[in-house]
Amino acid sequence: MGPLSREAWAQRLGAFRASPSAFMAGADGEDLGRDLLSDLRSEKLSEQTKVSLLALSLEYPAQLWPDVPAAEAAATSLLDTMVLLPPRPSALRRPLLLAATTVLASGGVLGPTSGASCRLLPLLLGLASGRDVGRGFGPISEQRPLQATACECLRELESCKPGLLGGILGLLRSLLGQKGPIQPLSLLLALALRNTLVVQPRSGASLQGLLMAGVSSTGSGPWDWTLAEEGHSHLQPQAPCWPAAEEGACALAVLEPSPEEVRELRAAVAQLLDTSYLLTPMAQAQLLWLLGWALRGLRGQTPALFKPQLVRLLGTAQLTLLHAVLALKAAFGEALFTAQDEALLLRRLTLAAQHPALPLPTHLFYLHCLLSFPENCPLGPEGEEAAPLLLGPQLCRGLMPSLLHDPMVLLSRLHLLCLLCAEDEEEEKGQVQNPQWYLEELLAGLQQRAALDGGPRVLATLCFQASYLVASCLARQPMMLTPLIQGLTQLYRARPVLAPHFVDLLDRVGPELEEPLRVVLQQEVVSRPGRDEALCWHLQMLAKVAERDAQSATLSFLQAAAAHCANWGLQQTLLRVCRVLLRGGGGPGLADLLQVLARQLEDPDGRDHARLYYILLAHLAGPKLGVALGPSLAAPALTSSLVAENQSFAAALIVQEAPAPIRLSVGPQRATGPLLVLQLQVEALEPVYSLELRFRVEGQLYAPLEAVHVPCLFPGRPAHPLFLPLQPRRPAPAQLEVRALYTTPTGITCHAHLPPLPVNFADLFLPFPRPPEGAQPGFFEGLWDSCLPKGAESRVWCPLGPQGLEALVSRHLEPFVMVAQPPTSYHIAIRLPPNSMLLLRLQSAQVDDGVPVALRTNDWAVLPLAGDYLRGLSVTE
Amino acid sequence: MAQRAVWLIRHEPGTPLCGTVRFSRRYPTVENRAKVFNGASYVPIPEDGPFLKALFFELRLLDDDKDFVECRDSCTHINKTSIYGLSVGNEELWPVVAFLKNGMVYATVPLVEQTLSPRPSLISISGISQGLELLFGIQDFLYSSQKNDTELNTKLSQLPNLLLQACPFGTLLDANLQNSVDNNNFASVSQPQKQPAWKAGTYKGKPQVSISITEKVKSMQYDKQDIADTWQVVGAVTCKVPVPPILGFYQMKEEEVQLKIKVNLKLHESVKNNFEFCEAHIPFYNRGPITQLEYKVSFGQLEVFREKSLLIWIIGQKFPKSMEISLSGTVTFGAKSHDKQPFDQICIGDTAYVKLHFSILDYTLTGCYADQHSVQVFASGKPKISAHRKLVSSDYYIWNSKAPAPVTYGSLLP
Repeated sequence: MGPLSREAWAQRLGAFRASPSAFMAGADGEDLGRDLLSDLRSEKLSEQTKVSLLALSLEYPAQLWPDVPAAEAAATSLLDTMVLLPPRPSALRRPLLLAATTVLASGGVLGPTSGASCRLLPLLLGLASGRDVGRGFGPISEQRPLQATACECLRELESCKPGLLGGILGLLRSLLGQKGPIQPLSLLLALALRNTLVVQPRSGASLQGLLMAGVSSTGSGPWDWTLAEEGHSHLQPQAPCWPAAEEGACALAVLEPSPEEVRELRAAVAQLLDTSYLLTPMAQAQLLWLLGWALRGLRGQTPALFKPQLVRLLGTAQLTLLHAVLALKAAFGEALFTAQDEALLLRRLTLAAQHPALPLPTHLFYLHCLLSFPENCPLGPEGEEAAPLLLGPQLCRGLMPSLLHDPMVLLSRLHLLCLLCAEDEEEEKGQVQNPQWYLEELLAGLQQRAALDGGPRVLATLCFQASYLVASCLARQPMMLTPLIQGLTQLYRARPVLAPHFVDLLDRVGPELEEPLRVVLQQEVVSRPGRDEALCWHLQMLAKVAERDAQSATLSFLQAAAAHCANWGLQQTLLRVCRVLLRGGGGPGLADLLQVLARQLEDPDGRDHARLYYILLAHLAGPKLGVALGPSLAAPALTSSLVAENQSFAAALIVQEAPAPIRLSVGPQRATGPLLVLQLQVEALEPVYSLELRFRVEGQLYAPLEAVHVPCLFPGRPAHPLFLPLQPRRPAPAQLEVRALYTTPTGITCHAHLPPLPVNFADLFLPFPRPPEGAQPGFFEGLWDSCLPKGAESRVWCPLGPQGLEALVSRHLEPFVMVAQPPTSYHIAIRLPPNSMLLLRLQSAQVDDGVPVALRTNDWAVLPLAGDYLRGLSVTE
Repeated sequence: MAQRAVWLIRHEPGTPLCGTVRFSRRYPTVENRAKVFNGASYVPIPEDGPFLKALFFELRLLDDDKDFVECRDSCTHINKTSIYGLSVGNEELWPVVAFLKNGMVYATVPLVEQTLSPRPSLISISGISQGLELLFGIQDFLYSSQKNDTELNTKLSQLPNLLLQACPFGTLLDANLQNSVDNNNFASVSQPQKQPAWKAGTYKGKPQVSISITEKVKSMQYDKQDIADTWQVVGAVTCKVPVPPILGFYQMKEEEVQLKIKVNLKLHESVKNNFEFCEAHIPFYNRGPITQLEYKVSFGQLEVFREKSLLIWIIGQKFPKSMEISLSGTVTFGAKSHDKQPFDQICIGDTAYVKLHFSILDYTLTGCYADQHSVQVFASGKPKISAHRKLVSSDYYIWNSKAPAPVTYGSLLP
């Protein structure tokens, strides 16, 4: 495709700008970046069109060249285009430099291995130092603006890679001293200096660069990639933008430059400040922010260098400059600003915040500055808005709010007034023009305006915002809250349509206002006749303010209102109030009302709904009812509110599947008999109530197991072991399936599957009743003989650990020992319910590493289990 | 200290989107820094369409504030500055500096060089004041000597190039965009001169220093026992005014279908009786058009704006020798048509005012002046020095004493 015409490009750029994402997703999207680069060299397009193309690459490089190779190629192409420009004046050189810089910096390409970076940086430095950079860089007339642009580009690169220019501080300084353009060089030097000082303690860089006037010729040029290459670490928010005095000291305290470096640094800063008056106010402000940040961390460096500038700056009428002075004040506090300076600043801010020649956003910003003023000796907690100490009532007089003000100004000034009232609390009352009285008047005015029938919503919103502000600042002053509550009640009486605002206010304010306001509003609503035009709003209000214990006045209001709830929406609102009362447990009156509603409401959905509530009220205990109705009502479906309601009940009333709330394990067995009992250890992972554990065994190996009940369990609290009686039908190990049924603290009933519990062969052992003393050998021999011929006999070699036979027996078989001749011979008798037995004769041999075991049982099926068990003993040892 | 993006959006009530983006500029290198600085709290700059919608909703410019919408109308959603948080998608874009002026919404998003949660205080963000200055600068450029839409369009088309000069990487270098216009036409400068670097072009005219003092006088006059009149002079070095320059009272009463009005004005004897202009505006809010007027003035002429329900009493350049003038009359109104006149929230019922507009040249109430012979200029060349003084009325109200009036703080009496 050949180059596009100007019109075609205009159309294409327009389509792109309207929605870049949509354009890039379209068919034309992929080629845009490539076409743009090639058409920059087309001879058919005018320079103006090419500038528009470059403007696009300045704004959307990430969309045009989305990956690193594409960005690198684009930057190379832009640099090539610049070299190819004929040596006459051209409007393209500046935007080409800016575009190449933007593409490199935003595409993540900038680095020592990027070819484009290694071409751009020396070019920028050459231009910035006013050197001859060769052909293609235009006539001499263009040198000066290009020099400034190159400085801007370097500054942007330094912003994106802090520390990059740390090596050319001295060069920049010497340029500034000679003939270079003051503003761009000043800003560049200040930024590089700031970054070096901020980066230095972290990476061991030094101010050495400041001492060298020329460019060092080491390696690949003066760029300090080591600092810049630590990626984004220097860009991490090192500290708040606002350089607070103490914070800065600890963040940068490690910096201790040599005396020579300090001297050079002071000279450089002084040089920058001395010529700063030549800069635009914007640039001066930037310089001050940068230098303020640079110097605040230097130990022992007094900020006195700024002092000569303050004489000029304290009187500034420039917004950004005044802001920068406030930043210096925050950074250096008393070290730079006397109490008189502070008073002067406050007076200037106070006047500027109301000066008729200044625009409204400026007034508002200055008011904000007043309430966040960085005082030398702040009293209140940090970060909270407060009236500065030196801002006396006299100074504030001009900043009092009035109904004539724009809403934002009014709120801002009202906040100040509230703060003054809060301070004034302790002081003498009834003085001339006391602010409390004025505040009352103002609120009354706001309420009157909000009460205007058909007035715009913004007036109502303003009134409620003001009320909120007053309530939150003056919550501890009942003197203020009483008239506020009265006024709001009157407002509701005049305009019930504002009910959503009232509900919102009640949701947000603290109990100091909420409680009393709720009570009076409820009285206000229920005193209305039920057929009020604003019934819908009254019901909405009542759903918020109704007492849970269903006062009779509320119920009779609802009863009267029911007759006028002609449409579905109103009925739903009415039922919402009932729901609120239900949650509190209702009462006899409520049951009557619900029955009436279930018969009387016109809409079948409403009737069903009322019936459901009645049934719930009649069948559920109070706390369960509260839980069932707890979560807020889901948005009612258009056809039936009951369906939506059911969704929320389902959660509360149906048993829900849940992850296991407890951990269960088989504890150490205490084989005492006569019955087999499994001891279980339980550990709660979350609080559970009314826990029921149900067990089941596959294949009917045991008789059905009883459920185990626990009243409650809490995490972290020790729990008693649980005892589970086992009635084996055969002496065989098994897996127990376990399920838990329980109630959560929120009252929901849940059901969980627990991991299966293993019942091992040894868990089924019981001892024989002990025969009288002396009769044991005979008893054992009797048992031994009884096993055959029906049973089975076997001989097993049981390996022994280092501790020998005695230890093995005492650890595993102690309860079952019938005849013992320690440490060499043991006769052991084990009962295996229901009617099996296992008899062992252990006789220590000469060899130390094992013991021969003779075993007999009356149940041949036990034999393999016993063999496994005995072999397993030595493993577990 | 940089901006991430800047917009100019024309407010067009009644159209589907209520506005169109007339200009926007994004700064991708700044955006990259925002991503790193803001970390997890970073919210990207949306495309123009979604931005317009979110901003207009927040500024209440969408013609749809019929219903209570919590995220806009909640009592805790308090805006005390022109800095907003916009909900874009599920996230909140903050801080957005924005204001509406002459039907144009100006907006910019400053870079915050730290995490946004918790939100840092506005005063600690250097980009806030810079953003405001940038928007003011653009506004000044658009509306300086601009008369109509064609000129506005021409100026808008110049903006991209000007910002390339004044704000190439999102960091504002000069809020005065006119300087950049001058720079754009750089003449050949062979030998750099000792002059501010931001003025690359040389100034060809005669050097001139002009010092002007403008005082603005505000006043609220109630003619009531329990409320004190107030006045305030701003712009002066000192303030020692014994009285407002013009004292007066206004009485208005509704009698059946018509209003009876009476206005008395008196110029204080110490004030220079030589106005550039002097007018008293008598508006009648929340009423229909004026259908009938009978009146008597002791001095000056009365102009009637029937449709606007407004009377303007043109007093002219001088008060008569007695220094006192009066106006009385009766006014009748037609039926009120809702859509024509906006609803006034202050002047309801008989609450009403007369507003004075005047200006006196070569005069200040405080006596403050600059002596042009005492001005020293430390520069080469001999600039011509001129000094001016002017007194201008600002919010100068005289309230109807027969009805309640909004009270300002200074006017409360014990």
